[in-house]
Amino acid sequence: MSFISVEDVKFSYDEDKNYVLNGLNLKIEKGEFVALLGHNGCGKSTAAKLLNAMFLPDEGTVVVDNMITSDEKLTYEIRRNVGLVLQNPDNQLVASVIEEDVAFGPENLGVPPEEIRERVDKALRTVGMYEYRKHAPHKLSGGQKQRVAIAGILAMHPECVVFDEPTAMLDPSGRDEVMNTILRLKENGITVVLITHYMDEAVMADRVVVMDNGNILTVGTPREVFSQVHLLKKHSLDVPQATELIYKLSGAGLKFDEMPLNTEECVNFLEGVLK
Amino acid sequence: MTRDIALGQFIPGQSVIHRMDARVKNLLLIAFIVLIFCSFNFVSLGIITGAVIAVILLSDISVKMYLKSLKVIIVIILITSILNIFYGSGDPIVQFGIFKITLSGIYRAIFVTVRIICLILISSCLTFTTSPTDLTDAIERLMKPLKILHIKVHEIAMMMTIALRFVPTLLEETDKIMAAQKARGADMESGGMIKKIKAMTPVLIPLFVSAFRRAYELAVAMECRCYQGGDGRTRMKVLKIKKLDVACILVTVLVLAGVILCNIFFAAKI
Repeated sequence: MSFISVEDVKFSYDEDKNYVLNGLNLKIEKGEFVALLGHNGCGKSTAAKLLNAMFLPDEGTVVVDNMITSDEKLTYEIRRNVGLVLQNPDNQLVASVIEEDVAFGPENLGVPPEEIRERVDKALRTVGMYEYRKHAPHKLSGGQKQRVAIAGILAMHPECVVFDEPTAMLDPSGRDEVMNTILRLKENGITVVLITHYMDEAVMADRVVVMDNGNILTVGTPREVFSQVHLLKKHSLDVPQATELIYKLSGAGLKFDEMPLNTEECVNFLEGVLK
Repeated sequence: MTRDIALGQFIPGQSVIHRMDARVKNLLLIAFIVLIFCSFNFVSLGIITGAVIAVILLSDISVKMYLKSLKVIIVIILITSILNIFYGSGDPIVQFGIFKITLSGIYRAIFVTVRIICLILISSCLTFTTSPTDLTDAIERLMKPLKILHIKVHEIAMMMTIALRFVPTLLEETDKIMAAQKARGADMESGGMIKKIKAMTPVLIPLFVSAFRRAYELAVAMECRCYQGGDGRTRMKVLKIKKLDVACILVTVLVLAGVILCNIFFAAKI
């Protein structure tokens, strides 16, 4: 049984059955890093909120670690297990002191005080914000705030963290900070689901899921997915810049075996061709 | 726009006052406020003023900060003291028509001014030396008995925590919106009071809209972090009454006794 399994899920925000998700099927294994792509309004964020029982499906089931999200008794256990990091770092921090904010989650779970202390220190070290533990959130940069928000989720000891466009409001250096943190979580064995608009981030994932119109368009390793440049373009989605370049060159008659995904691969490939 | 509001600002430190238990600090503050109002002559007021100065010196926070907090209410101090000058009875020293200044009036003005200043200083001392979370935590615990009356103590404390957290964020946002409206040609500086207030409408409406959006997102984020109200919640920092707190309580009781004795043995002057 997969760690998270979404089966035939339909979900609509209104009574008129305008389904945002239309029979979505998705399986996520333990320890996997899955990137979720799709243009605005395709249902990615809705899917994220279904994974931690913030929303319940109208039809179909979402099962997390053998717990079904529709069982109200399990709601908080599921939310502890599947942490959700949102886009705007400012609106996720509750307390005026960093360490107290990180403690918010474990406090809600009723963890004993000494253990909260340990968890908070450990979570802050993992995201590299330990030195800032006594600071006020409004004095930090966007990337730092987002790392604190991640620490707040980590302190609840989740097995999976879902990121809903965590870098959308950050500057390039903030994005790097957050992406490095996400990669570190994956190394620590935490299952990561990353919703993003940035193809360069999606390339780092084990598996890419492309959504369109409340359903899955295509799934596969980053290389498999981004090789289908034509399909992605048709659904007005981007591909990484390196891939785009090679795709355009291939239109001019250039032949290649494997689609390059990042600048390095692209440079190597072009070097080979130009020699 | 300057964001230098001294009133209600926490300044981290390691002084005796900083280390005191926030609950004790709150209770002692109330005791001090009552004392300030219950001192009826200059001797007892002198004792309290001495105690307030001692607390300020112990708090290890620059006198400048305290003066800043007084600056905010200087108008109130001036108005009340001027009014009081004219309120005395007895032989007038100077007289303009029906207004007369008497010796007792001057005494009374000095008395009231010292009272207000003491009141502000000792209250600022609490907010300067106590982190907002400790403060709300203390209030939550002190108000716990009110639960019997079905007052939602935890919710009130939570609202205070969040309000304190978002004050700087919303101030920053106000600045941004003002800059954006100015860039579109909004005029916020010229004109009289009424015109200036009217000019704030295009700032306040976006600010409110954004505050509501923030509130919604924060609610989602809190639910994601398993927030389910005050029941079954633990705290990372447990407040503990230490020897230091007991000592401070004893000192305050001594001051209290001093004031009461002075009130009895020295005639009320005013």
